[in-house]
Parts: sequence; C-alpha cells; structure tokens
Amino acid sequence: MTTEDVKKVKDKEVRKQVVIPLLQHIGTVCEPIVDKKTIVLIGQKIGEGDDEFSVPVHSSTAGHVVAIEERPHPICGSVPSVVIESDETDNTIEFKTSKNPSKEYIISALKDSGVVELNGYSLYNMLTSEKIIDTVLINLSFSGDVSSNCAPENIASIIEGMNLLIKASDAQQGVFIIQKNDKQLKSAIESGLFEEADIEIFTVEQNYSPSMANLLTYEITGMQIPNTCTPLDAGLLLSSAGSALAVRKAVLEGIPQITVNVTVTGAVHNPGVKNVGIGTSIKEVIDSCGGYSGEPGKIIMNGIFSGIALSSDEVPVIKSTCHIIVQSSDEVLHEIPGPCIQCARCVDVCPVNILPGRIASFADMGMHDECFKLHVNSCVECGLCVYVCPSSRHILQLIRYSKTVLQQLLKYEDETSSYGCLSCETPCLASTPYISNGGIL
Amino acid sequence: MKLTVSHPSHIREGVTIKTIMWSKVAILAFISLLAVGMYATSSITLGLSALALVLVSVLAAVLTEAGIQKLTNQELTIKDGDAVLIGLIIALLLPPEDIKLWIPVVGAFFAVALVKHGFGGLGSTLFNPAIAAWVFMNMSWGMLTGSEYVSHLGSASYNILFLGSYSDIIIESGAVRFAEISSVFLIIGGLYLIYKKYIDWRIPLLYLSSTIIVAVIIGEELSYVITGMLFLGVFILAPDPTTSPITKNGRIIYGLLCGIMTVIYGYLTYNYVVAVLYTVFFANAVAPFIEKNTYPKPVNEVQS
Repeated sequence: MTTEDVKKVKDKEVRKQVVIPLLQHIGTVCEPIVDKKTIVLIGQKIGEGDDEFSVPVHSSTAGHVVAIEERPHPICGSVPSVVIESDETDNTIEFKTSKNPSKEYIISALKDSGVVELNGYSLYNMLTSEKIIDTVLINLSFSGDVSSNCAPENIASIIEGMNLLIKASDAQQGVFIIQKNDKQLKSAIESGLFEEADIEIFTVEQNYSPSMANLLTYEITGMQIPNTCTPLDAGLLLSSAGSALAVRKAVLEGIPQITVNVTVTGAVHNPGVKNVGIGTSIKEVIDSCGGYSGEPGKIIMNGIFSGIALSSDEVPVIKSTCHIIVQSSDEVLHEIPGPCIQCARCVDVCPVNILPGRIASFADMGMHDECFKLHVNSCVECGLCVYVCPSSRHILQLIRYSKTVLQQLLKYEDETSSYGCLSCETPCLASTPYISNGGIL
Repeated sequence: MKLTVSHPSHIREGVTIKTIMWSKVAILAFISLLAVGMYATSSITLGLSALALVLVSVLAAVLTEAGIQKLTNQELTIKDGDAVLIGLIIALLLPPEDIKLWIPVVGAFFAVALVKHGFGGLGSTLFNPAIAAWVFMNMSWGMLTGSEYVSHLGSASYNILFLGSYSDIIIESGAVRFAEISSVFLIIGGLYLIYKKYIDWRIPLLYLSSTIIVAVIIGEELSYVITGMLFLGVFILAPDPTTSPITKNGRIIYGLLCGIMTVIYGYLTYNYVVAVLYTVFFANAVAPFIEKNTYPKPVNEVQS
C-alpha cells in the first residue's frame, strides 16, 4: 500500500457521515428525492412525500449521498435513511429571508421547512387542518425542552416564534405554560413580553411531557378531551420551545429544521447544551461532550420518566430529540418485580386518575377486557406509577402491552365483525359470535 | 458496550416493600420493648412472659412462612418483613399475663399459613392476617385471649407531665395488651408513616375523626373510646395496604365505615378495644365491594 492509499483510507475513516431518517414525524415515510452520489448542500431537501401526512427532510451537511438504506432509528426500529458523507465544507443553499411575512408566506415556509413538534406532529398539518385555533400554547414545562432551548439569548426568538404562530393561525391569544418553581424562566419571559398584550403566562404544578398534551389542555381550559383527539380539537395549537425557535428560523431566515439543541446530562465528562445537526449519531454528540465517564449502561432520549432507552449509540439525532441522558452501568436498574401489595401509591400519583397497578395486574394475567373497562386507553404514559412502585413492577410496560393487544383486537373485530379474541368460537357448537363476560365492547 | 433497553421510568423513588414493612415493624417493636419494660417494672415474671410472647409469636410467624415457602418451592421472602409484622401484631393483641405460649404459635400459624398464603401470599390477602388470627383465637379460646378485659383512660397510677389521669395517653400502667401501652408513640409512629407516604392519610384521618365525632354525638365518654388499640387500628391495622381499598374515594368511605362501626360495636358491648379489631375485620370483608363501586373516572375518559 502506498502512502497515498493509506491517506485515502484514513480520509474515508475521518470523514463525518450523517444518517438522516426519512421518517421523523407521525405519518408516512418520505420518498428520497436524491440518488446515490448526488452532491447535496446544507439545507437541501432530500426527502419528500406526496400525501398530506409526510414532512419533508433536509440535509444538515454538505457532501454527497453514500447510500439510501434502512438504518437504525431511535424510536421506530429501522427506517429508510439517507446517508450523507460530509465534504467538510459549509456550502448552503440560498436561504430566502423575509422581514414581515404574511400569513400565507408563514404557512408555506413551514411546509417547506418541515418543522415537527416533539411528539412528531407537523406544525404545517396542524395549521392547515381547517380547525379553528383560538389560542397558541407554548409548553415550557417539559424540562428537557426547556433546558435545551430556553437559554436567555433564545427568549426573544421564542417570543418571535410565538407571534409568527399567532399570525399564521389567526389565534386570539398566545399562552406560555411555565412550571411554578421555574421562577427564572418566568421572569425572563415576563421581561421579554412587556409590549405584547395578547400573550399571557400560565403556571402549572407539574412537568408536562409532550405525550401529556390532552392533560395539559384539561389543566388550562377545563375541557376533557378523549385520547383519540388532540388539543387542536379544543382550539389549541400546542407547540414547544424548540419548535418556536425552528418556526422563527424557517420563516424569517428561511433555514429549514436541520439542527436541534440537545442537552446532554448524566455520565459524560462535560454535560451541557449542544447545537447538533439532524442525523449526527448520538455517539458523536456524546464525544463532543467529552465522552462517557465510566462504562455507559443506558442511553435515554427525552426525559428520565418517560423517555426512550436507546438500543445503541449509533442511532441518529432526529427532529424531536431534545435531551440525552447517559446512565452509567451501575446506575442502571436491574430489579425483579415483586407482587403488587395494593398499596395504591400509583393511584395517588396518577395524573389521569386511573388505577395503574390494577390495570397492570390484569394485563399480566391477559385479562385485557378488564383493562379496557378500567380505562387503560386513558393512560398518558408519564411513568410516575413506575417511579413510586415499591414492588418495582413493570406497570408502564404492561399497560403498553395491554393497549397494543386491545388495538389489535379492535382492528380484528372491525375486519370480521365479531367480538373479542374469538378463542370461544372454535368450541362453540352453534358458531355464535359470543361476547365474553363483560366483553370488549 | 452493552446498553440496557427498558421501558420507562428509568429511575425509582427508592421506597420498597422492605422499607414500608420494616418501618412499621420498627414502630411496633419499639412499643413492644416499652411494654416489656413496663411489665418488668411491676414484676419480673410478667416482664419475662411478655418478652417470651413477642419472641414466640414473631418466631412462629417467620418459621411458618419459611416452611411454607420451602415446601412449595417458592422464593424465601421472610426478609421483606411481612411475616415479622404479622407475628408482632399478634403479640400486640394478646395479654401477656397468664398467656399460654401455644396460643400465639397457633395464631401465627393460622395467620401466615391460612390467611396469608392460603389466599395467595403477600398482596393477595382478603383479611389482615393478624386480625383474622386474633378473631380465630378469640372465637376458639376466648377466656385465654383476654378479650373481656377492658382498659380505658383515667385509671393512671403514674402522673406524667401533670396530665392527671390523662397521662395514660403517654404510658398506660394498667395496659392489658401491648398495643395499649402508649398511645403517644403510636401516634408519632403513625404520623411518621403518613409523612413518609408509607400509608395514605385518608384512612387514618377519617377513621379517627369519625370515631370521635360519632362518639361525641351519641354521648359516649371519650376516655373509653380513645384507647391504644384505637390508634393501632387507625395507623397500622386499617390502612394496611393489601386489605384496604385502592381507590381514593373508596379509602374515604372505608375510613368512615371503620369509625362508625367501632363506635356502634363499642357502644353495644362496652368494649372499645375489641370493637376496633372486629371493625377492621368487617371493613376488610367489605373493602372489595367498596372498591368496586368507587372506580375513579379518568380525566380524559374515552367516550364510547
């Protein structure tokens, strides 16, 4: 091997690769609009869908496409992704700036820039859903989002983003939701708000993660909305600090959502907030924070109570990533669940007022119809019941299991117009569709 | 690099069954020690028989549990403290004077073997094992379990803190059973359990307040109603996690029911000590019924 060859190989190793999943939202997977070996620039659109539920994705780096293949995804197993090898330049496409955008301009800019909420909903779809929006909410009570995006220098941008959203949705008012004990953030927002008359601040007690949107709606408006609906049905547009920043960037500067702010905490050498491009692997983010301190045992994305434990650190950062927590191997819980002693601690902490421990016991026994009767579908998966359980039972896992089984059963029921599991049908002499004791419906 | 994948939450509060059980055991063990000391000051033989009662009862409960779990090839769970707690409560419910030591042995065996493991072990019991065992012992050998002895305030021979006859609340000299020795320490222990959220506040609050209110309404002397046994019932027996309802409203009804039943039983039998035990036994029996009728309505109920 000549020295030149060695250099080439080395170059190849050093060159940064980003893996951009074509699914970073709730909806259908995007079709790639680039081919292998295409040269792409920062901000160039690389994936787009033709139906209304897909959100375009953009390249976060300049370089050429190496592969378009299935790659591991932090949430959905593995999905088709565009792998781009960086050429270490920062050539960008031409960003279209705007000083005083009109409503139509904001909506079209949001469509092109692919801004996605933390829970995967597209802001463009929300704004064009033909539902009347009278209030824009920005949830500043989710700790991961707040620690990443609510630095003092970002407050003005968040308020600008709020104003843009109010303009785009023709809303009457905007509300910032702030946790009660977060006084610093409250005063920062208050001082930024001195001349906006139609924006208010609402304080809440607890930490509302994006999955608790309906509960937040109940807390603010007193409207109870079932889990099949979203706050949009109550006339609320629920957004987060990260999305507000992305909206401002997309509309005023023309930059699509290609970077996110990520807080890294836990067993790393220099925990802190990093601005990283979409598609950067978690490992690189952690390396930029000084690397692991000690043997890592668990990497958690978006919140220690309800976050997702990642299967590897090779998965990319996606649009809804805001918080990465690294637990060292001796912090990781290895507990054997004991019997439920019916202490009702889970009932006392449950924010939606259901009986989590009882539902989990029924799910464990496979009695999913009982789970349905105990309103298992109301669970917002906040993880508090598991946190307080003295028996360390896998309550949330069992609840999710029950939800999945019920979903499949109900789907099956629609297809065959019969009831429940059908296990009673085989021995039945009269071949009657039989409703079990209580039944599913 | 080996990464663990699990469902949330990724941290725990750190309260386990062991912490809950052993803190209850610690409170009751302190009461027992105090009682043994009290009895020993009046006569050494009484003190020794009191000590023997506690040890025999706890040992019998633990050995029964270990034996059952060995025989049925289950994991040994004597370390979680539940068997110790059952044995200790049985000792607290019996009078140490002239006690036949086979009575706590039979009682502990009945409690652990039949009432606890017969119904499915920890977390599945219908009745509080210790109370069910006491009911069994009282039915079978009523004379030997001393249920006819009634103690009440106002017979104090010590005068602590110039409380006069009410110094019985701190140390009762004429205590027939361990549980009556000191109401104050039971209250302190109970408040500690509530503060630590090892037991819920609803049952103790409603049990105690409804007992006092109903007793005042029907004109009963409070010194008969408020005994050490009442506080044992209020803070340890009634809010026992397994046998009380899990719903929030259910616990309120359960507490009210306990209070009303205690006064009714005590008023009719002139025995407020036994009233507490039979009341909790009765309330345990109806707890599943209360629970079933107080299922909460979720905040975001799915409309069907």
